[in-house]
Amino acid sequence: MRSIDPACKAVGLLLCTLLLCLRHSPALNLAVFALCAIGLLTARVPLRKLALSMLPILVAAVGTFFTGYYFAAGSGSVNAQTLNLLGSRVYNGLVLSSRVVAFAGLGFLLAYTTDKVRLVQSLQQHFRLPAVFCYGLLAAWGIFPNMAAEYRKARAAFAARGVRVSALSPALLRPLLVKTVRWSEALAVAMESKGFTAGRPRKPYRPLVLRPVDVLFPILSTAAMLAAVLLVPV
Amino acid sequence: METIAVQGLTFGYLKASGHRVLREMRTSFDRRDITLITGPSGCGKSTLLYLMAGIYPQSAGFIEAGQVRVEGRDPAVMPPWQRCRLVGMLFQNPDLQFCMDTLENELIFCLENVDAPREEIGPIIDRALAFCEIEHLRRRALSTLSGGEKQRAMLCCLVALRPRWLLLDEPFANLDDATARSLALKIAQLHREQGVGVVAVDHRVHSWVGLAERMCVLAPDGTPAADLPGPGQVPPEQLWQLGVSGPGQHYRTDMPVVAAANDTPVLELFDVAVHYGDRPVLRGVNARLFGGRTYAIVGDSGCGKTTLFAALSGIVRAEGQILLCGQDLQKRRRQLVGRIGFVTQSPQDQFVADTVLGEIEVSLRRQGPPEQAAQRAEEILREIGLYKYRRLSPYMLSQGQQRRLGVAALLAYDCQVLVADEPTYAQDLQNTLAVMEALHRQVRQRGIALLMSTHDRQLAHDYADLLFSLEGGVLREIDRSCL
Repeated sequence: MRSIDPACKAVGLLLCTLLLCLRHSPALNLAVFALCAIGLLTARVPLRKLALSMLPILVAAVGTFFTGYYFAAGSGSVNAQTLNLLGSRVYNGLVLSSRVVAFAGLGFLLAYTTDKVRLVQSLQQHFRLPAVFCYGLLAAWGIFPNMAAEYRKARAAFAARGVRVSALSPALLRPLLVKTVRWSEALAVAMESKGFTAGRPRKPYRPLVLRPVDVLFPILSTAAMLAAVLLVPV
Repeated sequence: METIAVQGLTFGYLKASGHRVLREMRTSFDRRDITLITGPSGCGKSTLLYLMAGIYPQSAGFIEAGQVRVEGRDPAVMPPWQRCRLVGMLFQNPDLQFCMDTLENELIFCLENVDAPREEIGPIIDRALAFCEIEHLRRRALSTLSGGEKQRAMLCCLVALRPRWLLLDEPFANLDDATARSLALKIAQLHREQGVGVVAVDHRVHSWVGLAERMCVLAPDGTPAADLPGPGQVPPEQLWQLGVSGPGQHYRTDMPVVAAANDTPVLELFDVAVHYGDRPVLRGVNARLFGGRTYAIVGDSGCGKTTLFAALSGIVRAEGQILLCGQDLQKRRRQLVGRIGFVTQSPQDQFVADTVLGEIEVSLRRQGPPEQAAQRAEEILREIGLYKYRRLSPYMLSQGQQRRLGVAALLAYDCQVLVADEPTYAQDLQNTLAVMEALHRQVRQRGIALLMSTHDRQLAHDYADLLFSLEGGVLREIDRSCL
């Protein structure tokens, strides 16, 4: 999974995700998740990392199950007596919750088996994405850790001054916003001072060559998903 | 023609405002020299450097008159891929200079920018890494490098690009003396061996002793105040008169007499330890701080000074116990608000209000009715000379003004401990003295305990009653003679 060209992989998985939206089938959703899990394990993604990543997904899945269960078409008021373990309500809940799990599986498969620099380079080389967008994305990625640190600093500053603010208070986000604008200016200036010129064609040092397997991946994965969507009974 | 010529340059940031940062400036820099530009904050040193690098007026401001020519060419009209072969720039903040994830990828990015032939990129990278002696950092994530390593990595990028001129904008502001000196030596080697012209803006002139051949001192209004030989060849007293702290120059002549300690410590640290993942940064820090004293912590970059202060402010979780006035700080932080104040490295990190006036009012709100707080806040702003800016956002003040506001806002609390992380970071001599004197006065008059960290050993020597060294995650008291 890791050796497949990142852009081809991203396209294949994105098309699969879109096709999956067309079919309301818990079995298909769970089968997709199982295939993703196999892909992740064969790519030697650490089990602990996967398990930790799945925790919030499972919470979201349980939440969407009950949302689907209680608010299925034709449901009336929500109370303990309406709790049926069989029937369309359970099915509706399962459709939504299994979809959350399947989408997470597809997302993890891309995120945990792909190097972000290679993904951006691949998108630039194969899909002609503008260099200013690609390298801007990478530079922004580099300052994410700073943003988390700055957020903690801002919270500590408010707490130290005895000002109580909620976690998403605009007052707390204001210093972050000011700094983010300044950082992006500084980064843009630094990139230009190293010769980066927007709109100028670049000759990559390590050209990414598309192999047959890279091209086949999006075709075959999309075809398989299309077949499943068409053939799996509702 | 191997010069940078500044000819009658007048530059400002806003056309509508009459203020011009540089007025009819005339000067030139020779490629055979390492030239140091110094002077008070806000005098236009960095602006001049950005103009020579061709970053201004493209990115900000406008040239009203005059011109800048680098070896006869106007850098502002050159496309970046050509300009970077003429002038390269090393910036102050090491965190905001990289685009890629590893140094090797960053070097490839730089060389792709200038269309370096594919077969030459590998050897150029090898040579640049070897020159900067950082082969071991080649595949390390840039986010995991220390400030000194990041500056060396940036220098490596410039070595690979081989510009004819190297412009440095306070590149050592975040670094300890030893790291700054080793980097300055490397830059001097680049100058000597490859003939790269060097122009550096720096407040810390002692890093350049024996290396810089020339020193330009700018006056507060941006006009050249003096053209001198390099630091080390000029008497420190002469530099002091020009508002520059020279090597070995004391900040104050009367050495501190250690104040008698009260019976009860105001801040106590017992076995304070902090880990980042598996890496221990602090391992059992113990200290007892008494009111009316100044304590300074010195240590290399990355030794854990900022982490210790982050543990005190609650940004990072610490093991062990921290007692403030006998109460557990980590458990009773909310109840102890106002008893401990934090002066952060960047003053912007401590602002919580929309206006300059509001910033002081927040501090006074707990001490009386709002009308009194507003009146007292205005008095304080008059005292620190910021009253006319009271309705502005704190972010719109200059760096020196922000620092004054930050310190005044904290001193408006009835605090017993003040923790200051590099309170004079990137400040000129005048601001450094103003900030330190304000803190020192509070320590003596109000009996506050001041715990500060600094890379400036002379400052620690001159102002601290007691000195600590943080090394290997352990805090040790050291003698003044060790500095």
